[in-house]
Amino acid sequence: MLIPEPLQLVIDELSKLPSIGKKTAQRLALHLLKSDKEMVKSLAKGLIDLKEKIQFCEVCFNISVANICEICTSQKRDRSKICVVEEASDIIAIERTNEFDGLYHVLGGVLSPLSGKGVEDLNIKELLKRFESNEVEEIILALNPDTEGETTSLYMAKLIKPLGLKVSRIARGLPIGGDLEFADDATIGRAVISRIDI
Amino acid sequence: MILKSIELKNFRLHKDSVLTFSENLNFIVGGNGQGKTTILEAIYYMCTTKSLNQSPDIESVNFEEKFFEIKGQFEDLTKNRININFNSDVGKKAVLLDEKQIFRAADIIGKFPVVTLIQSDHEITQGSPGERRKFVDSIISQASETYLKIFIDYNKTLRQRSSLLNQIRETKNPSLYSQLDAWTSTLIKTGSEIIRHRIKFKNEFNEYVKNAYQKIMNTIETPDISYQTFTEIEDKNIEEEFAKELNKKKELELIRAKNLVGPHRDDFIFNVNNRELRRYGSQGQHKTFQIALRFAQFFYMKDTMGRVPIFLMDDIFGELDTYRAKKISEYLKEVGQSFITMTDFTNYSDLVKLENDKLIEVENGTVTYV
Repeated sequence: MLIPEPLQLVIDELSKLPSIGKKTAQRLALHLLKSDKEMVKSLAKGLIDLKEKIQFCEVCFNISVANICEICTSQKRDRSKICVVEEASDIIAIERTNEFDGLYHVLGGVLSPLSGKGVEDLNIKELLKRFESNEVEEIILALNPDTEGETTSLYMAKLIKPLGLKVSRIARGLPIGGDLEFADDATIGRAVISRIDI
Repeated sequence: MILKSIELKNFRLHKDSVLTFSENLNFIVGGNGQGKTTILEAIYYMCTTKSLNQSPDIESVNFEEKFFEIKGQFEDLTKNRININFNSDVGKKAVLLDEKQIFRAADIIGKFPVVTLIQSDHEITQGSPGERRKFVDSIISQASETYLKIFIDYNKTLRQRSSLLNQIRETKNPSLYSQLDAWTSTLIKTGSEIIRHRIKFKNEFNEYVKNAYQKIMNTIETPDISYQTFTEIEDKNIEEEFAKELNKKKELELIRAKNLVGPHRDDFIFNVNNRELRRYGSQGQHKTFQIALRFAQFFYMKDTMGRVPIFLMDDIFGELDTYRAKKISEYLKEVGQSFITMTDFTNYSDLVKLENDKLIEVENGTVTYV
């Protein structure tokens, strides 16, 4: 059966999205076709606004509506602490916890010579510039606990420590509320090695 | 763990074979090229989802057919059914455990531990250091998931670091040097953990090897494995020594754009009576050592994993004198379920087949019980 062109276009565009295959794309497109016109209009407007109204914060590279993001402009945040993350999505994850009231800095990746990512490709210079105001006292590195993330943390620590700032890395260990017996061996092993005094 | 039975369809010479096994010794007897080793292959496939000699799946399909299928029944505390089928038109293999498809080989590996004693084992004692590292790493990884994880991380670090060394050699960009320091730190950290695990393994495994060797030879010969890494190290200062050694080779690493220091260059030295086997050992000592290593592996895995592995032995008696053949057949009684191929059973008057053992004859891909 020949699929009408407008429908085919939507199917093709949707199937470009991550974790959406051809069949799912088709189901979604047909669902939209059957949906209320207002709902589809709102979705389409939302998508356009997403691209037109949202940008990256000039200071920390978080996603933001204004030139400078809400976290960076907030007076309630502790300006002496900066938490360094790989991607803006990590900020959302940490913000959900309500445990951190400092500022953020998005690196935009990690060091990986194999994929051609070096120091110049990360927002490191911009981070160092933020220290000039002398407000910052502590840097918390919250990168992923894989080889590349760890190496980037080591690099950052070596770079920042001589400037007289306190540098720490977030802890790794067992999930809260999870059963010890269900955690994977590597995580338990890690947690035992980096145990803490109580 | 016991393998109760297998069914082979179009698996190499076996067009349609059904085998039931003894939970003790299974002697698989037949002439050359009749399909005895194929049965070991099939068992190995079920335990690891891979071929014994790392050949591609398609080579295991019978010449006249377009697919193969292996079905097996394991019995431990529970029963497990394994089904592996490969279709040469699709070029894909499906692995099913209790009718559920398994997508990662890692989900099966370790569930059905297996130890093999095969012809290519001579490379462990006679071949390059890489063969010995492979032997050791595969045992530690099966016993410790932590080691496997560190091992993967370490190899990734090696690739990243050599890529960076290459970039430095090509571009001479000074900003890359500070990144090299960071990768060097990661290399030292993960590499030292590997070394620590290997030292611990070597100390524990030595007892198992000694025990196995003396059971087979019943002599005063003492085997010993020593571990050779970049320097003589005490357990405590590995990181320090590692850094020192890297510093010494710094220039050379940049010239050659290669990782020149670390556990990826380690070796394990096998000695008999304090003499290095690789240089001074006789053919017989080599063979005995290879067999002892596999028996040691069997008992080590049994103790550390709390599961009894299946033991596969391909034509080991062919090269042994009657004395050692007799010793080994006595030793086999201490092992659990084993599968032993040989060309002719009657040649070995010392081999004892007990009532529970099974003698399976294979001729041109068909199976008969004796």
